[in-house]
Amino acid sequence: MKKFLIPLCLFFAVAAHSQDDLLKSIDSSQVEESYSTATFKALQLVTLQTTKMPAKKEFYFVVSHRFGTVKDGLDSFFGLDNATTKLGGIYGVTDWLSVSLSRHTLNKMYETGAKYRMARQDAHFPVDIVGYSVADINTFLEEDQYPGLESKHRMTYVQQLLISRKISQKLSLELVPSFIHKNLYNPELENDNQFSFGGGGRYKITKRLSVNLEYMHNFDNPGFYENPLSVGLDVETGGHVFQLIFTNSQSMSESGYLTNASGEWNKGDFFFGFNLYRVF
Amino acid sequence: MKKTFINFFVLLLITAVHTDCFGQKLITKTGSIKFQASMPSYEEVAAENKSVSAVLEQSTGDFAALVLIKGFRFKVALMEEHFNENYMESEKFSKATFKGKIEDFNVSEITNTAKNFTLKGDLTVHGKTKAVSVIVKVSKTASGVNAVGSFEVKPEDFDIEIPSVVSKKIADKIKIAYNFTLSK
Repeated sequence: MKKFLIPLCLFFAVAAHSQDDLLKSIDSSQVEESYSTATFKALQLVTLQTTKMPAKKEFYFVVSHRFGTVKDGLDSFFGLDNATTKLGGIYGVTDWLSVSLSRHTLNKMYETGAKYRMARQDAHFPVDIVGYSVADINTFLEEDQYPGLESKHRMTYVQQLLISRKISQKLSLELVPSFIHKNLYNPELENDNQFSFGGGGRYKITKRLSVNLEYMHNFDNPGFYENPLSVGLDVETGGHVFQLIFTNSQSMSESGYLTNASGEWNKGDFFFGFNLYRVF
Repeated sequence: MKKTFINFFVLLLITAVHTDCFGQKLITKTGSIKFQASMPSYEEVAAENKSVSAVLEQSTGDFAALVLIKGFRFKVALMEEHFNENYMESEKFSKATFKGKIEDFNVSEITNTAKNFTLKGDLTVHGKTKAVSVIVKVSKTASGVNAVGSFEVKPEDFDIEIPSVVSKKIADKIKIAYNFTLSK
């Protein structure tokens, strides 16, 4: 029996060695790139930023709308009569740094921002960490209304840390600690320094469709304003991502979104809108 | 007992000899694969991977190649991301491989002028394997051989889904060009 076995083994040893072994011999010689990619489809989750960065020299043109409150029904055609617009651009200076500028209808706001990646999720590190710094300039304020208004009063600053993890192909989650500083504020309604913490996530329903949810809790909120809660749908239409959203915070500027939400979901008071990106 | 040991030793020796000494392997780790799926008057859909591994067994003509899908570079980064995420699903199917044989390969016939051979084998892309037969041009280089050629594949043969909204922008047949400079 043994005598028979050995030639048999030999035969298999020789037969197996050929194209399969040849393929195996090169298989081990490659090192796989291990960064997690496509954690989120777009630069924004709903209104919050995601950890996604534009590539180097990539330019994104962004158009977003938030319509008026749905609550008014047919009077304002569910808010569509009262559209607010954000027009802006984002440019990837390098793969880890992007800068942005946008103009918002609400409060005639200009927003400048910088987004910078500090860490990436891979086999050895569990999360993506991105910093996001924003300066909002309110050009709606008039000296007639506010005697003694100085240009510094128009400024509001936001500093965020975006921490995300791609849990599976379908599910990605993000935490967003935020610090907001307002040079001009109404002390009866809010504080000059505010800390807001929350986050959100996305779940892919199909390859090209995902549902997104985000919530931010403001810890310095005396109760006049609501906390923003938003839900969105990412639709990838062959290269371009279209985001349909519902939110109780109409503002698209980072500070306005986080601290001045006025809608109340349980009273049917929320806003419809969308974000549209075009990449150049 | 002694006999078993000797038998085992012989087996080991034969296997070792067979894999190492007889082998006249020519290898590259910097081969290139380009694909072109553009349609006229639409955005270019093309990419190149310059770190393809390939190996040729000179004595038999056996040939194998392996490419990491994530290593394909596009001009537009977003296109590259969608290629990986939605089309090739590269986290699930990280590699494309080929294993096969250059038929009637005889290394002594290879000269500086390229000679056509038939390369037959199994191409595995996106987890699906398909038998292919293509023409490969082989010529001699200072330290080995150069193998180049091109062929066409259809995405549906490898279960790569092209959504109808972009079907006009992506060619039905995708042209794949390869270039391997193999050496010892």
